[in-house]
Amino acid sequence: MKLTFPIALYFLSCCLTLSCSINQVSIYEPYEPETNFEKFPYKVLFTSSEEDAFWGTKNNECKTVLFDTSNNFIGNNHLHIKWDQSNCNYIGLGLKWGNYKPKNLLPIIKSSALELRIRVDSGVYSNIPMFFILVDYNDKQCRTKINYLDLEGGKIDKTWRRIRIPFQAFNYLSKGVNIRNIKELRLEFQRKGDIHIDNIIIVEHEHNYAKLVDDFTKVFDKHPINLGVGKEYWWGINPKYSSSFNFGASFENESVVVKLGKSNGSTWNNFGFSAYKWMHTDISLIFSTSALNFKIKASEIPKLRVSFISYHGQRRRLQKELNESNFITRNLNNHEAYIPLKSLVGHDEFSWDDLKELRFTILNDVPFEIGDFKIIEFRGNPKKPTEWKGI
Amino acid sequence: MERNLNLFYLIFLTILKLNLFAQVSKVEVNSTIYGDFELQRNGKPYYIKGAGAKDHFNLLSKSGANSIRLWSTNNQHLLDSAHQYGFTVTLGLYVRPERSGMDYNDEYAVKGQIEQLKKEVLKYKDHPALLIWGIGNEVDLKYSNFKVWETIEAIANFIKKIDQNHPTMTVIAGIDPSKIYLIKKYCPSIDILGINVYGSIEGAGTNIRKFNWDKPYIVTEWGVNGPFEAKKTAWKAKIEPPNGLKAEQRLRRYKQLIEKDSERCLGSYCFLWGQKQESTATWHGMFLRDGRPTEAVDVMQYCWTGKWPNTRAPSIKNISLENVNWRKDHVLASNSQVSLKIQYLRNNNKEIISEFKLFPESYSNQIGGDFQASPEAMAFEVIRKEKDELIFITPKRRGAYRIFAFVKNEMGQSSVANIPFFVD
Repeated sequence: MKLTFPIALYFLSCCLTLSCSINQVSIYEPYEPETNFEKFPYKVLFTSSEEDAFWGTKNNECKTVLFDTSNNFIGNNHLHIKWDQSNCNYIGLGLKWGNYKPKNLLPIIKSSALELRIRVDSGVYSNIPMFFILVDYNDKQCRTKINYLDLEGGKIDKTWRRIRIPFQAFNYLSKGVNIRNIKELRLEFQRKGDIHIDNIIIVEHEHNYAKLVDDFTKVFDKHPINLGVGKEYWWGINPKYSSSFNFGASFENESVVVKLGKSNGSTWNNFGFSAYKWMHTDISLIFSTSALNFKIKASEIPKLRVSFISYHGQRRRLQKELNESNFITRNLNNHEAYIPLKSLVGHDEFSWDDLKELRFTILNDVPFEIGDFKIIEFRGNPKKPTEWKGI
Repeated sequence: MERNLNLFYLIFLTILKLNLFAQVSKVEVNSTIYGDFELQRNGKPYYIKGAGAKDHFNLLSKSGANSIRLWSTNNQHLLDSAHQYGFTVTLGLYVRPERSGMDYNDEYAVKGQIEQLKKEVLKYKDHPALLIWGIGNEVDLKYSNFKVWETIEAIANFIKKIDQNHPTMTVIAGIDPSKIYLIKKYCPSIDILGINVYGSIEGAGTNIRKFNWDKPYIVTEWGVNGPFEAKKTAWKAKIEPPNGLKAEQRLRRYKQLIEKDSERCLGSYCFLWGQKQESTATWHGMFLRDGRPTEAVDVMQYCWTGKWPNTRAPSIKNISLENVNWRKDHVLASNSQVSLKIQYLRNNNKEIISEFKLFPESYSNQIGGDFQASPEAMAFEVIRKEKDELIFITPKRRGAYRIFAFVKNEMGQSSVANIPFFVD
């Protein structure tokens, strides 16, 4: 009996609290979507019998498009496409997706994916030669394909398998596609195939993969640049097969002792080294005020051809046969070479932002040692390489 | 009774599996007492006499080949079929090249590809025909992102862990010091370098040594100089040598360049034991589009066995249009009568049948053996046709064309030559 009063009091207070909170919420208030995904209105592309959801479903010699009604994943039918690209350049079809209304994918790009179900009538595949393409209202396109990481069970077979295409997988940035103004989704098919597709929708999706940055480029913006540092970046020096070239020790950095005439094994007449660790070497900021400089130890200056080679570009090689004007003799056996980069024919067509290597071809049989390769500052007349006061 | 049946089934499966494993070959790269690299299969020296081939296996076998190269794992039936013919297979794992749109800075695309290829490795690692894993083909062609080598290494390293029976190889388009350095640095799990070399085969053996590749190599594609190395006409049509000259080039390259490098070269795969459109329908293929073999097949039999076949194809050595040979540009008036002449070796064939076909010129920007569509032959007016000459009327419409001359013996063994011409 002693407990009756407190229990009644507690019960009463609970009822009062509950009734207060119930009063605050009206069941007739509209639901407010909270996340960007929830706010996105065009989540369904194809689920059941929306045959008019597609364009490009007309059959031709390269593709047969059917809306099969048996063994659907969902709804009354599904898309069945057979294709053979042998006689056609392009096979594809498109989804009108919200009846072509402009779609802003930016708010959901990091949190969503395209999802579809796929199966085949026979065989087991880990990939299908098909691409998913987003097209904006400027007709710019970005594309991606099925990724093994988001293929259910890692295979495509007779069972309806779930595939997800994260929106981040589309290369929209590099293709300049306006992701805020997407018109449609296209499916492009290559080679040959026969697949069933159903339930194309947009779903929430966590995508934890990064876009990495290019770390294979080295930019130089000041002089001097020491070249040929590190024997592992050289080629043409392999005493097992030829003693024409051997690494020397007369200079500060790597140097080569050249003895063509007395070579054991094959006589090789060229060697080279990377501009910088075989990376894409960018000297475009300084090339116009630069010269190649190196030293030679010899009783007679040898005949040499120097080549600059880039990784890409219309003109990938510049070369020059050196003459007396390229050399200064410091004393009896020590000579220094200067080759202004602007003295090379075709230098304005060369990709100085993607320099690969320097090659040296020996054109006569004179023993010498060559080393201390550098790109130095040069602001003189390219036609008079040794007459600039700055060297 | 049911239990006994289950037991029997289990034993049967175990025997089947053991039998399968017993067929798996142990393939290794070893050194001989002379310091040469040697491929050994089940403990015995194995020199690759191979072809890039998807069909004509019967003739390939008769010609003395022992191996084929496949570029991907798409067609298991080819692997099985090769095994039935007694061929080994260098099995390609298709690593998407950058030029196909693959972004090697995209971690998602990279990891997805690696996981997919690991699955392929697990699927095929115990196939009895498997000789070598070919990880990627020409991923270096027109590439700029060197991260692709990390993918190659990830797959090679996976293979090293789960398949001790088969060496790993990656295949590059031509030899270059930067590629050699990058593969050495980023792909330590690669055992063999595969090189696709056409014109550049001439210096390949020397360059392998100059660029300090210190492991063995296989010439994974070789043949005649490719369309990408060919001289072009003023209207950018590529000039293809007659098949007879191409056959001579094949023979010399095999005997003097491939076979002689016993120190480093583990063998080769000639390109292409079949037919494909690459600038023309006849450039690389050793067969014609209708399946007839050309004299290149005879050459390969001689290379592999030291013996010519009993009957040999005729061989076209020269072709000319209006008495101007195939090396020159040919600009003709429209709707005019012209003469096409060929010179060929009969090679002891009694009967020679000639055939001529006209095509519109085919231009393609595709590279690296990527797919090119074949043009269809055109109707044209023939005034007179001999075995070694065709008098015909040039098309009325201005444009670029190419006329083909075919000769064949009674067995169907053939030769072909063509000349591009421009109607102005």
